[in-house]
Amino acid sequence: MSSLSLPVETDRLVLRTFERSDIDDLCAYHSLPSMQRYVFSRTRDHADVAGALNIMRNHVSLQRPGDTLTLAMIRKGDKKLIGHISLQWSDATAGQGEVRFCINPSYSGQGFAKEAISAVFDLAFNHFRIHRIFARCDGRNHHSIKLMQQMGMRLEAHYREHALFQGEWDEELHFAILDREWQRSTKVRDLPPRHRVA
Amino acid sequence: MPLYPTYPLQTERLTLRPFTRGDVDGVFAYRQLEEVARFLFDHPLSREECALAVQQRITQTGLAEADDKIILAVELTGTGALIGEVSLIWRSVEARQGELGWIFHPQYQKQGFATEAANFMLDLAFGPGDMHRVCARCDVRNERSWRLMERLGMRREAHFREHAIFKGSWDEEFIYAILWQEWHQSRTQKLQSP
Repeated sequence: MSSLSLPVETDRLVLRTFERSDIDDLCAYHSLPSMQRYVFSRTRDHADVAGALNIMRNHVSLQRPGDTLTLAMIRKGDKKLIGHISLQWSDATAGQGEVRFCINPSYSGQGFAKEAISAVFDLAFNHFRIHRIFARCDGRNHHSIKLMQQMGMRLEAHYREHALFQGEWDEELHFAILDREWQRSTKVRDLPPRHRVA
Repeated sequence: MPLYPTYPLQTERLTLRPFTRGDVDGVFAYRQLEEVARFLFDHPLSREECALAVQQRITQTGLAEADDKIILAVELTGTGALIGEVSLIWRSVEARQGELGWIFHPQYQKQGFATEAANFMLDLAFGPGDMHRVCARCDVRNERSWRLMERLGMRREAHFREHAIFKGSWDEEFIYAILWQEWHQSRTQKLQSP
């Protein structure tokens, strides 16, 4: 495995590890009620977000199972932090990874999350040789559900009332995609039809 | 809530009771079979391994805290033959979650015994056990097992593909579940139908 080369660039984004100076941009979306509604560890104030940032700043590579890589989505041009995405290596024997993401609602609906997820899928499947990536979300989180469907992920589980989450019965969806199902290379796909062979 | 049933439990044709040391041969009779072990995490067991398994099961008769198991021997009430085992695991105390499992001797399959025993365990979980949701899992190729889950009124909640390695190859797994209100409704309908 070649060493991980960061940052990763996409058309409109730079994905890089977190820095101490990201705190203000992170605060701008991390504590929003629409974000807090679906997260496991809640951040209510600046200090909580600073704590979360400290944890994410240590998520710089996947060396052993259980490790997480967390990348900040930086918009090219204005260098604005608009969200983050993480990949956790959850199981080594079976090559499993979990993807999580958050985007500042002010920047949602423009395909940024999709762009970042694509790049992380490439990283996971091509660089880290992960066999299956899964993502979980709340049953009410329509934006996430739609996004995972657009990514070509398959709905593999729909749990109802299987746990308590933030004091209520939880409804949780699992989406997954296998390495052979992920069609790499937007570059190849973007070629006009006349360039395609057979 | 903590669950300590009074044994033996009687269904129409079956007796559900804790394991005893005398059950080793009865357990060995089905746990040694390849067709039984195929979809279990264990390989076919030797008699010594069965003795150890029985030893563990002897005290697995009540639920006091999370991850406790009730594993019961299933006997034909008429003949006293040991035909298999059923289990109930307390997965979460706070969210009142349980998991149901079963293993039956192939010789006694297709006569509704597993359905009868599993239904009884479901009543135990939702009745005195006060559980909110009970799930069961099996390999996708284990059709008899998931057909039984469907007969119990469970819903297919998960179909995982290649999410783990099972006995050296990619695993494909179903998870089924039923909620308290669904179980309650099915029992009420049963009472109302003549």
